[in-house]
Amino acid sequence: MKHRRTEFFVNTLSLGITIGISFLIVILMILLMSETPLKTMYYFFLGPFTNKYYFGNMLNASIPLIFTGLGIALAFRSSMFNLGGEGQVYAGGLVATFFLLIINESGPAVLGILVALISSALLGALLAGMSGFFRMKWNTDELISSFLLSSAVVLIVNYFITGILNDPNTNLLTTPPVNERFWFLKIFLPSNLDISILFAVLTAVGVYFFLFYTKWGYEMRMCGLNREFSRYGGINVSRYMVMPMLLSGGLHGIAGSVAVMGTYHQCLKGFSGGIGWNGIAVALIAKNNPLAIIPAAVFFAYLDAGAKAAMLHSDVTFEIAAIVQSVIFFLVTARAIHDFIRFRKKEVQV
Amino acid sequence: MNSAQFAFPLLHNTIGIMTPFLLAALGGLFTELGGMLNIALEGLILIGAFFSVVFAAFTGSLFLGVLLGIAVTMIIAWIFGAISIYLKANVFISGLATNLLASGLTVVLAFQFFGNKGVILFQDLPKLPKFTIAALQRVPLLGDIFLGHSVFVYLSWVAVLLAYVVIYRTPFGYRLRGTGIDQKAIRALGLNPQRYQIAGILISGFTCGLAGALLTLQLGAFVPNISAGRGWIALVAIYLGNKKPLGILIASFVFGLAESVSNYAQGAINVPADFILAFPYLITVAAMILFSIWQHRKSVV
Amino acid sequence: MRGITKIYRETGLHANEDVSLSVEEREIHAIIGENGAGKTTLMKVLYGLEPPDDGNIFLRGKEVIIPNPLAANKLGIGMVHQHFTLIPSFTVAENIVLGIEPRTKGVFFDRESAVKEVGRVIEEHNFHINPRTRVSSLTVGQMQQVEIIKMLYRDVDLLILDEPTSVLTEQEIVKLFENLQRLVKAGKTCVLITHKLDEVMQISHRVTVMRKGRVEAVRYTRDVDCRELSRLMVGKSVLFDFEKKEQDTGKTVVELRDVTLLKKGQERPLLDHLSLELHAGEIVGVAGVGGNGLGELEDVITGLRHIQSGAVYHDQKDITNIGPIAMRENGLAYVPADRLFRGSSVQSTIRENMIVTNPRRFLRAGVFDQKKIQVFAEDLAKQFSIDGNPDIPMGMLSGGNIQKVILARELANKTDFIVFSEPTWGLDVAGSEFIYKKILEIRDAGSAVMLISSNLDEILGLADRLVVLYRGKMVANLRNRGVSKETIGEYMLGLKDDFPKKKADAS
Repeated sequence: MKHRRTEFFVNTLSLGITIGISFLIVILMILLMSETPLKTMYYFFLGPFTNKYYFGNMLNASIPLIFTGLGIALAFRSSMFNLGGEGQVYAGGLVATFFLLIINESGPAVLGILVALISSALLGALLAGMSGFFRMKWNTDELISSFLLSSAVVLIVNYFITGILNDPNTNLLTTPPVNERFWFLKIFLPSNLDISILFAVLTAVGVYFFLFYTKWGYEMRMCGLNREFSRYGGINVSRYMVMPMLLSGGLHGIAGSVAVMGTYHQCLKGFSGGIGWNGIAVALIAKNNPLAIIPAAVFFAYLDAGAKAAMLHSDVTFEIAAIVQSVIFFLVTARAIHDFIRFRKKEVQV
Repeated sequence: MNSAQFAFPLLHNTIGIMTPFLLAALGGLFTELGGMLNIALEGLILIGAFFSVVFAAFTGSLFLGVLLGIAVTMIIAWIFGAISIYLKANVFISGLATNLLASGLTVVLAFQFFGNKGVILFQDLPKLPKFTIAALQRVPLLGDIFLGHSVFVYLSWVAVLLAYVVIYRTPFGYRLRGTGIDQKAIRALGLNPQRYQIAGILISGFTCGLAGALLTLQLGAFVPNISAGRGWIALVAIYLGNKKPLGILIASFVFGLAESVSNYAQGAINVPADFILAFPYLITVAAMILFSIWQHRKSVV
Repeated sequence: MRGITKIYRETGLHANEDVSLSVEEREIHAIIGENGAGKTTLMKVLYGLEPPDDGNIFLRGKEVIIPNPLAANKLGIGMVHQHFTLIPSFTVAENIVLGIEPRTKGVFFDRESAVKEVGRVIEEHNFHINPRTRVSSLTVGQMQQVEIIKMLYRDVDLLILDEPTSVLTEQEIVKLFENLQRLVKAGKTCVLITHKLDEVMQISHRVTVMRKGRVEAVRYTRDVDCRELSRLMVGKSVLFDFEKKEQDTGKTVVELRDVTLLKKGQERPLLDHLSLELHAGEIVGVAGVGGNGLGELEDVITGLRHIQSGAVYHDQKDITNIGPIAMRENGLAYVPADRLFRGSSVQSTIRENMIVTNPRRFLRAGVFDQKKIQVFAEDLAKQFSIDGNPDIPMGMLSGGNIQKVILARELANKTDFIVFSEPTWGLDVAGSEFIYKKILEIRDAGSAVMLISSNLDEILGLADRLVVLYRGKMVANLRNRGVSKETIGEYMLGLKDDFPKKKADAS
């Protein structure tokens, strides 16, 4: 028990240092670049809390990040890298839209939503699963193969959105909107926040349960920590190169379809940009703990929301969020920060 | 249209297209030989692209622009390396961070200085010098394919030779390779392996700066995310080239040819542009898989 | 060296406490002690790899500070590590000059003069090695020579050798000692770290005994005998004396028939037509010098590595190449030599380590019954007297406790044959005795036991039958009755072979 508490303390503090440094850098940037630094800072840090609209939208933006963060965490827990999140989210959104457009008025709405969720999960799983399969079969590096596949998929999805499935009634690069029956219920008007946040939270709980209370989850974690040991202990190691990728891709696909049904109501060109990458950061901040992914995703959405508010009310551009996020990315796995805290703590105890 | 009329411009273009791959991959090779994965090539190219063209416009000199662009790229590369090596961050994650930083930083600075987040044109920029030898221009093949490129192309060829010499013929090359194979052995000799790894990363910063400079200077403009996956392809070229300078030259040529062919196909046949742009990625995946199947066969009796 | 103290911060381990050591010129000075006595740490301090927390180093009466190996080399101190620090894809000469390369024009690596200079050092000290050979194609003994030459090339006077004989064959050891004696004659000084007493007696002039981070005694070798050294080393004399009851062996449990394992690009098979039976209630001890197929046999009989020809049977059933999962289903239990990497997942909790071989039995309606796991873990911890809460990561346990967790886990399932590989390597005496008692219990309960070990005392003390491998081939398969260590040694070195290959078969 004592060990766990120390571990928790060290993790929290090092995360605090990481975030602290990234905030310092953003303050520095705002001081350098903004004509009205105080106003900019106010909106960057507190903007998301100034009204219901911003606050709800921030929570809404965290929904896909919870799904992708969970997907990445599952893969990381098994020592597999799914770098194809971007393409999997995008493809999931497209296939969900495609089926919803076909179903349109027929059958009950719930059925349509189920078809959309399942088809997006399957497509995402297929895309990521391929990389897992190649890794198992020929030891092809799944990190690079999943990235390259995803890059190709993004372009192919673009083709569908701007080509066959393009909405002729608008100049926007998008598919037609899906039937209103399939739109998720808004629960925090006037913001975009919809009911799927509950679904996201439930999924996080489900993934937690899967990892720590089921045999598959256990074996997956063992493979992730030490494959040689797992093989020795009689675990089917090959299976756990493919399964986590399937699950990871599936969650990414669902992130896409949920974003379509909850927020966009159509498949907009480039709607998934950044959701996949940020999922990686979210998983890392949460130390791959499914429950911690919820606050981590909200935090990442907060950075985006803050930057957006600052852009609307002041004179900086939205991309400063990317810089803050990259600083967090840089430092979140830095073992030296960990070691430093441990070392200090020990000295104090002695 | 006879085949030469078709093939010569195709190959001529290939050589232009492959150059950024080649430059970035050669630098990345030094990182790789030092035992580190260089995911950051993509971001470093982008940094080089932005700062070279901006500095070239500010100073009015291409040479100074490239020089300063490379300097900034090396600084960012050093940050990437220092965080990975001294702060012991996961090199793959900090590589991703570098890419994210690059795309954020370039846009933020573009907005700050030019009030514009889209394409930034630099009209007064001098043209990149092209290298031609009038006497040889007439020689078939040579003139059609190998001459008339910008200086960067020829620089990249010199870089191949230089990389070979440094890696296989200097103490530095031996120590760098030794670091990649067995860090403990290098440390036991009283050498500092981290220094060689940092050097490998700085070299990748240098060549990525060059590669990026080529992209923006030949265009006379900066386009957001102009690196457009070239760093990733360069990374794959390192593996496909079996971590050897000559192999990388060949792998880069293959990728250049693929893109060049798809550019032609785009005009000649009625295939949607997005499909053709996806093509190099799919070829690369296929090449990777074939390569790993071959490796797999080799390792199994 | 005077009053050296070294504390490892990460673990709080006092590796050296107030250690003083003096080495005279032109002597061979042995430092002995059990694993973990602090010998290697002391030498690392001397070689500049670890900074001491306290104490001073004097060289020829002058105090020196040695911040890194390069500085040590400049002062004439060189070290040959237990694990070689060579780059396999480089040549002998390239490896030797690495770090102080000869150059042409100040920039380029001068390969020709590297070969020439290294050749000169090789000749001067009477070694026989071609400087142009790639290190990857050398034998272990030759690699060690390269390490020694590397130090000689750096002009050292004091040569530290860390467990130099642990990977060598008997002949190679003889050769090494000849080389060392020649070096001493030529004016060099050697410090030899070892835990093998006979070597100390054979070659050293003086010996320092270390125990638990302190110096226990310093003696002239001619004034002591093995027994006294052993007593100093372990505190009490080790006598492997087991009460082993006589027992008739039962049916054949596992049979290897003509098992052959090949390595790509190598002509000599790793395992060469090996045929062997394991019977119920019998311990088969497998001995051999490292590199002669022991590790490969471990991998093959546990299903981790596939064989190219031959067959494996369990209860008459063909189980060739069925893989580790099916092997376990067939009743295999296995305590591996590599207990930190293969035998455990050090980041996982003890509890998670305990259930790996059969997680299914803790499921209720598809979900882990945490209470059942807890009871199981506590139960095993009590039975095997494992210190430590089952919730802490495995890596926080001591080596002995880790081995107990592995053993407890492997014995928790029904098993009828069990493979031990180097079960007591690195353990202290009490830990070893615990393991020995368990091995005998398993045998008495009627399981077939294979004990693969490089510790001959262990094998002679425990085994019912002795098997010796030499170059992947079985050269002896005897009942362990009145067999002497010397005899086993002769088999291990290939001097004796009970199963010579008939030439007709081979062709």
